[in-house]
Amino acid sequence: MIKMLQKVPIGYECKKCGKIHYPKHGRCLNCKNIYFKEVELPSEGILITWTKLKSLPTGIDKKFLFFGIINLNEARYIGQIDVENQEDIQIGMKLKAKWSKIRVIDNKDIFGFVWAKS
Amino acid sequence: MREVCIISAGIGSRWGKYNGSLIEMMSEASLEAIDDAGTDKIDAVFVANMTAGRINNQTALSSALIDYLNLFPAVGATIENGPASGATAARIGYMAVLSGLHDIVMITGGEKMRVAPNPVITDSIATILHPEAEYIHGITLPSLGALLTRLYFEKYGITSEDLARIAIKNHSNGLKNNKAHIQKKISMEEILLSQEAKNKNPVIADPLHLYDMCPITDGAASIIMCSMDKAKEISQKPLIKFAGTGQGMDTMAVHERDDPIFFKAVKDATDQALSMAGLKREDIDFAEVHDAFEILEIAQLESAGFYEFGKAHLAIRNGETEITGRFPVNTSGGLKARGHPVGATGVAQLCEIVWQLRGEAGERQISNNPKHGYAINFGGFGNNVVATILSRV
Repeated sequence: MIKMLQKVPIGYECKKCGKIHYPKHGRCLNCKNIYFKEVELPSEGILITWTKLKSLPTGIDKKFLFFGIINLNEARYIGQIDVENQEDIQIGMKLKAKWSKIRVIDNKDIFGFVWAKS
Repeated sequence: MREVCIISAGIGSRWGKYNGSLIEMMSEASLEAIDDAGTDKIDAVFVANMTAGRINNQTALSSALIDYLNLFPAVGATIENGPASGATAARIGYMAVLSGLHDIVMITGGEKMRVAPNPVITDSIATILHPEAEYIHGITLPSLGALLTRLYFEKYGITSEDLARIAIKNHSNGLKNNKAHIQKKISMEEILLSQEAKNKNPVIADPLHLYDMCPITDGAASIIMCSMDKAKEISQKPLIKFAGTGQGMDTMAVHERDDPIFFKAVKDATDQALSMAGLKREDIDFAEVHDAFEILEIAQLESAGFYEFGKAHLAIRNGETEITGRFPVNTSGGLKARGHPVGATGVAQLCEIVWQLRGEAGERQISNNPKHGYAINFGGFGNNVVATILSRV
């Protein structure tokens, strides 16, 4: 879960064992504890895999979009990568979170983090 | 404990584009299974479907099917478990017979998908993903397939040619299956190496090409199960035992898994099914796997433990998974050629295993008199997976 208007991604740290979760869970994936505290995740990370998708779902009015999984040390994030050309993206590159409109669902603009070159 | 058999299998019309209603399509498969079983005295009907409420504006499908086919007084329920709905419905049917609650159970899976534009279908299927961490970002199943493929390419040196080789095999098998959606021979030259390949087989989700992905398909499939004692009474066909079932789970969000290449749910489901059947991996003669994307044929064979990690593509290069190979995979054509009408897929996999074990698979029949067949029905993106083993008695 991303808190609206926040400028950094948020994770959930188990108050018992310290495991960091993103997204939110009702019980810790490690120890099943139900108590968490919100923590700021790093807003910079490393791209571990990516794709350029040309067949997009409803609510994204673009011809193509890049997606990737970003390693944030103790957590990972999956999302849109803000690059124009395939030549500009590679595994291992540093990326920085940027708050942006990501799509439209049920006629509502949805905001979240996209990841741009650091 | 009661033993359970599958006594019939039916697909109905050839898969692809179906012009009638969803219920008509499922009734054709069901009637074929009823004919094959030689009885219509069915106690319960479990229908597998994922998207009808969203794209066909119809729910409560088991009630509709029982009514349409006058299967009264059979009772019914509709089972939705994403892309694993079919095998899940079979597993629930198995439990219903095993428990003694019902004697004869019909499982019918069906999906009529070609009524909506591709972005709508893509979006509907993407609703199985994590709503906040994946879906809202525009993540779809093809994008997850592509992200996995790139990880595999990087780690194990798999190439686009390896994926094309699987597509070519599955197309070749589909040509021998008159119910398959895609019945078209393809070659490496045509889809990857030639100048025209770029137009004919464009990259859709880099590095996945069009031919690395299953088509959008209308289709249905049906099986009938009963107790072993009942099967001996009513069936004239070779008895096919529902020998093992397993179900594995993992985190919804793919990025939360320690190693996104390893599908723990596939391993857990397979281990359970083998243990229940009292079999080892080397006892399995052939497999139907869930190749929604051709990388998944490799990934599932490895996560299931049939091949070491990084080795399945080498076996495929050597022809081991061809119909004539040591371990045939997707003799039906798989999702790539038979098609992937989501709720029907897991049931159709079991139909293929029944036909192979009975020696009724025609041109695509495995020649080594197979005794044990295995199927993996892959739900979510590997977070809810059902494995099934059927054995000839």
